[in-house]
Amino acid sequence: MSLGVIVAKDLRLLFRDRVALAFIALAPIVVISVAGFSLASLYGGGRTGQTAYDLPIVDEDGGDLARQITERLANDASVRVRTVASREEAQRLVATQAAGSALVIPRGTAAALAAGEPARVLLYTDPVKYLERLNVRLRVLQARDALADAERERVAQNIAQQRESLRAELDKLGAAIRAARSELDTAKRESQELGERAARAYDAEVARIRADVEKQIDQQVRALSTQVQNELSARVENLRAPARSYLDALSQARADFEKWFAELQRLAARRAADIPPPPKFPEPPPDLVRALDSPLPPLDVPAHLDIRIEPRAPKPVAPPNLPDVALDVPTLDVPAAPPLGAALNVEEVFVGGGAKTINSFDQQVPGFSVTFLLLGLLLGVSLGLLDERDWGTFDRIRAMPIAPRNVLLGKLAARFIVGMAQMILLFAVGYFFFGMSLGPQPWALLLPIGSIVFAGTAFGLIIAGVARTRDSVLPLGAIVIMSMAAIGGCWWPIDLEPRWMRTVALALPTTWAMESFNDLMIRLRGVEATVKPTAVLVAYGLLYLAIGLWLFRRRVAR
Amino acid sequence: MRHVTAPPAISVKRLAVDRDGRRVLDDITFDVAPGEVVGLLGPNGAGKTTTLGVLATLLPYDAGEIRIAGHDLRTEKRAVRAAIGRVPQEIAVYPTLTARENAVFFARLTGLRGAAARKAAADAIEQVGLEQRADEPASTYSGGMQRRLNLACGLLGEPRVVLLDEATVGVDPQSLESIVAALRRHKERGAALLYSTHHMKEAEQLCDRVVLIDRGRVVALGTPHEIVAQAGLKLAAEVVTERSLPERWLEGLEGAHVLESHARGLDETGSFARVSIAELAVAARVLARAESHGAVRELHVQRPSLHDAFLALTGRATRD
Repeated sequence: MSLGVIVAKDLRLLFRDRVALAFIALAPIVVISVAGFSLASLYGGGRTGQTAYDLPIVDEDGGDLARQITERLANDASVRVRTVASREEAQRLVATQAAGSALVIPRGTAAALAAGEPARVLLYTDPVKYLERLNVRLRVLQARDALADAERERVAQNIAQQRESLRAELDKLGAAIRAARSELDTAKRESQELGERAARAYDAEVARIRADVEKQIDQQVRALSTQVQNELSARVENLRAPARSYLDALSQARADFEKWFAELQRLAARRAADIPPPPKFPEPPPDLVRALDSPLPPLDVPAHLDIRIEPRAPKPVAPPNLPDVALDVPTLDVPAAPPLGAALNVEEVFVGGGAKTINSFDQQVPGFSVTFLLLGLLLGVSLGLLDERDWGTFDRIRAMPIAPRNVLLGKLAARFIVGMAQMILLFAVGYFFFGMSLGPQPWALLLPIGSIVFAGTAFGLIIAGVARTRDSVLPLGAIVIMSMAAIGGCWWPIDLEPRWMRTVALALPTTWAMESFNDLMIRLRGVEATVKPTAVLVAYGLLYLAIGLWLFRRRVAR
Repeated sequence: MRHVTAPPAISVKRLAVDRDGRRVLDDITFDVAPGEVVGLLGPNGAGKTTTLGVLATLLPYDAGEIRIAGHDLRTEKRAVRAAIGRVPQEIAVYPTLTARENAVFFARLTGLRGAAARKAAADAIEQVGLEQRADEPASTYSGGMQRRLNLACGLLGEPRVVLLDEATVGVDPQSLESIVAALRRHKERGAALLYSTHHMKEAEQLCDRVVLIDRGRVVALGTPHEIVAQAGLKLAAEVVTERSLPERWLEGLEGAHVLESHARGLDETGSFARVSIAELAVAARVLARAESHGAVRELHVQRPSLHDAFLALTGRATRD
């Protein structure tokens, strides 16, 4: 509870101190405004246009090209275009320093370009105004590149349209060929089918006629054969009957003889053996017997009469197989357009993204916010503690039943809260009044803000521990803060500093804070870009806190 | 010497403190009973503030035993802090906060919360007579009012022990009266008050006992009367003259000797002299001797005071 009471007391003390409040809130806004507007040209001109360069333009050409150049430059917030009548007037304006530079678009410029001939514009400049000369020249070159790009784009679109049209015509031709080939295939197939059907009908009719004729002939042949067979059988039977009767009588005579001879042998009794064998009756020839007994074999009638019937009508002939027509659609493609021109443009790629023109307040707001934050924290913490010591309130609190660390922690916590509020206020002013970028993840800014506030608060404890009096706090704090802010890139881009100084700057928390702000606000990176700087700032803060506590205990608390 | 019968609220035995190799407190021994006001008297640099700083747990000490409200100072600092109220020599309040805000803040640090803290603050402010301007920033107060606020902030939560270090420096009579009244109330409720001052008269009025210290040592301890008696002092006459008195202006006068003498007036043409006299009749002779040398403007005859006793005991004034 005591910690909260001390924090509340310190916040109340601060809010009662109107000078301190003004120092925390108003002073940085004033400085940021002055620095942001006056140094806008350092970053290529402000988005608000309030720091734009005057650029007189002489249009001697009078064509569409000159109009486009003028319009493009007029749309650039970093230059303020006005047309003047003659190049003499343009020269006079530059010579009298009414303008830092002037642009002349000579007569025939557009015509020369249309004819494929080189052309140039004139830029009158004042060598003293180096930065303005570079910026205006850059803007003119950008306008030139933009116009060239637009022209190339227009030609490319034209070619693309023509190619598209040609491709459509080819597609139509291919479709027509495919349709014709399809119709031809259909006719060919139907013709073939008709011929085959006629031939099959012809063959069927011939077969039917042949079958009828053969059937009738077979019927008549069989009838005639039966008649011949019957008549022939009757005649043969007539011839067989006497022979069969003779054979029957002969067979009877044989049986009678055998019976007689057997009686004779019986009668001869003992003398029978002396009787010589009777002669043998001849046997009828078997073939004759078979011929007389077997039926008359049927007449052979040919099983099939090979009757050739040749119709007089000619057999329908199938249509000849038509050869395939080579109607394949060739693969026709529109040839690629030839490359346009040979212009070499420089494409500037901002690694990680970001706008191509930097709002100077993207640099100045965090830079001077950090500066005034450190001023407020270092002086606030150290002077606050010295005040407490000088007033005697510090000892009064130390003699009360609260944890000693809460005395310091409460004051540091109050300063931390005030520092956070100060930074958020200044960033909000930068955002709403100066169009400052907050990056893709505005909440991520709280990480470097919180960590630099922590480091600054802890550093204030070091100042309080080193400086014994209020008089020594101010010069000591001022030297330390100004050095940290300047070297750390709070007042100008750190890249303007020599390499050794940038190396030294790594030891300063301001460097890491500004690096983090630049990553988030200008390079438009995500929260991952601020992890390392935040960790470094927290580490610095812990180191400062340890040193500050040691110094404070050693020098102030005693 | 008075004997303390109740268990002492403050007990200091053989306290010694060294600073930078020099002994600034040596063998300091005294105690304060509940409901007692003990004056810690001595000239600037005698060791009063150091003694109070040690008792308030703000300064370390090298030897001795100290118990406050029954708690050992060395091992029970938090309990000691909870028992004491401290009124420092400086105006230890926040100048931009009002009296009420200051008092509520310090009341909360004593452990009081919410309404209790606000009531304690209001009571303390009322005790010192600041209720009419309680909601004005302390920086707008006169010196005496700031002293009263300083006192009020040290009396919050009715501490069992109150340590006061020159609590009445530079106050107007009205504020002094208010402060003394407030301290008496706390004495009556049973608080032990250790009151550091070099105002001997104030100590005589307020303190039950006094501890006279000089150069880090206790030179006397007891009630004011006991100390005066210890010093063996007699009556004193103070003489103010228009012209400077010569160095040996009282030489040869029986029953009188100069205690202190110095120039007086803007151009230092006059003199002030304090003279010890054996009896009242000697005062007339002193008057005559002074008149003969420097044209007497004033003559006061006093009974011996603590200041005189201190002077007699240490050989130097409390304002040295």
